[in-house]
Amino acid sequence: MATTARTLPAERGRGGRTWYPVVALLLILLGVGIYAYLEELSEGMAVTGLRNLGPQGGATWGLYITFVIYFVGLSFAGISTAALIRLAKIDKLRPIVRMAELLTVICLMLAAMTIVADLGQPLRGIVNLFRYARPQSPFFGTFTLVISGYLFASLVYLYLDGRRDAAVRAAEGAPYRGFLRAWAAGYSDTEPERVRHRRASFWLSIAIVPLLVTAHSTLGFVFGLQVGRPGWYSALQAPAFVMLAGVSGLGMLIILAAIARRSLHLQARLGLPMFRTLGIFMFVSLLVYLYFVGVELLTNLYTGSVRERDVLRELLGGDYAWLYWSAIAGFVIAAALLVAWLAVQQLRTHIWPLVVAGVLVNLGAMAKRFLIVVPSQTEGQLLPYADGSYAPSWTEYAVIGGLLALGVLLFLGFAKVFPIIPLPEEGDDGKVVT
Amino acid sequence: MNVRRFIVWAMVIIGFGLQAVAYLALAAPLGKPTDVSFSEPRVPFAPLLFILGVGIVFSAAIVYELLPDRPEDRTASEP
Repeated sequence: MATTARTLPAERGRGGRTWYPVVALLLILLGVGIYAYLEELSEGMAVTGLRNLGPQGGATWGLYITFVIYFVGLSFAGISTAALIRLAKIDKLRPIVRMAELLTVICLMLAAMTIVADLGQPLRGIVNLFRYARPQSPFFGTFTLVISGYLFASLVYLYLDGRRDAAVRAAEGAPYRGFLRAWAAGYSDTEPERVRHRRASFWLSIAIVPLLVTAHSTLGFVFGLQVGRPGWYSALQAPAFVMLAGVSGLGMLIILAAIARRSLHLQARLGLPMFRTLGIFMFVSLLVYLYFVGVELLTNLYTGSVRERDVLRELLGGDYAWLYWSAIAGFVIAAALLVAWLAVQQLRTHIWPLVVAGVLVNLGAMAKRFLIVVPSQTEGQLLPYADGSYAPSWTEYAVIGGLLALGVLLFLGFAKVFPIIPLPEEGDDGKVVT
Repeated sequence: MNVRRFIVWAMVIIGFGLQAVAYLALAAPLGKPTDVSFSEPRVPFAPLLFILGVGIVFSAAIVYELLPDRPEDRTASEP
């Protein structure tokens, strides 16, 4: 490969003044999370707030499962954005394709770890899943496809997509050259290699889309097919899962792109048109999701069973009301911000309204995932048990905090050794000549 | 058909075939459970075989890109 003349920076994360303190803080959080998990492992699930349904008046799925769904949701938007960029040739979004792929891989790894944290006996659970899972069960689709097939497919996607940049960076003598050469695996940027890569990316995108829709729908079916659990049994569960996944994931991509733009000074490559496209996608997804929420609410209020309405009453005016209305307020404020951003000329030149909307929809998504998982267990009893309650213990908060810290660390670590924004190719504005 | 395409197509067919066989014939029987046999996979670790099938299909993309060119192809692509 010939030498490279570049007018843009390599987009490899550089350790600034804030980088090391942030990493130190994240390592502390991760350490606390590991300590909490080890305590859970030695003392059992008693250290969590999780209890049996019914007689113990608790919830067997709590904060961990909430975050499994949240992480898988983020991964959905990551890989679907990456696939759509290739399939629909949305060139404006091309600079964030690697961030989207990385978001998917990291979130799926975090989802897998969160499931492990939720299992009292992790090894037994993992082995038995691979040994006994039944094809009829949504768990089969969810955990075999999401955690295994989907993660593997995303890793293949990320790996193949990064080969060219790894080769370019290795040829430039960048740090971690051995790693970069191993990643490049002999890539030399010839025309046949480029053609092959384009073709492989296209078919990978085609193959990944049905896989991810199936995987996310089955995750919705885990809840939506449970006829004996008021609040879960709904035909809208799967599509609503997919829509909220899209909303939160796009919001997260906007946040990540804004951070990369600011910290790596990439105002030219991560420009306003790209944010505008992401913002419009997020706005449309958010409107569709709010429509689903409204439809489900009205259907259950008018025609739901008594127990169905009990769960709904708890959400609208009971113990969970503050969380429910906070989530709805978050979504509505985010939608209003996006409308203002689209309508007001002065706002359109700023990114902050999109970032604020991204943060709001992500907080709302976490709350909504919690509200999907928990109230139906504590309030949705068909047998004559008293209503229960669930409050996560510090162990659960610490484990989730540790996992979030791990996710950010993985992202920062990757950005430190590899271009987080794809290097420009011939013909791009970046004028790379190879 | 060159060697690259042959290997890739073979991997895709084997991968999808393994998924289908694992799902339909090796895992627990599909349909309304009538006895205990519906709770057990017909072959232990059938779900793992299904995942292996998914893995083989997607690995075909790596093989497609990484398999070195034949010398005559490489010569033809040089400027």
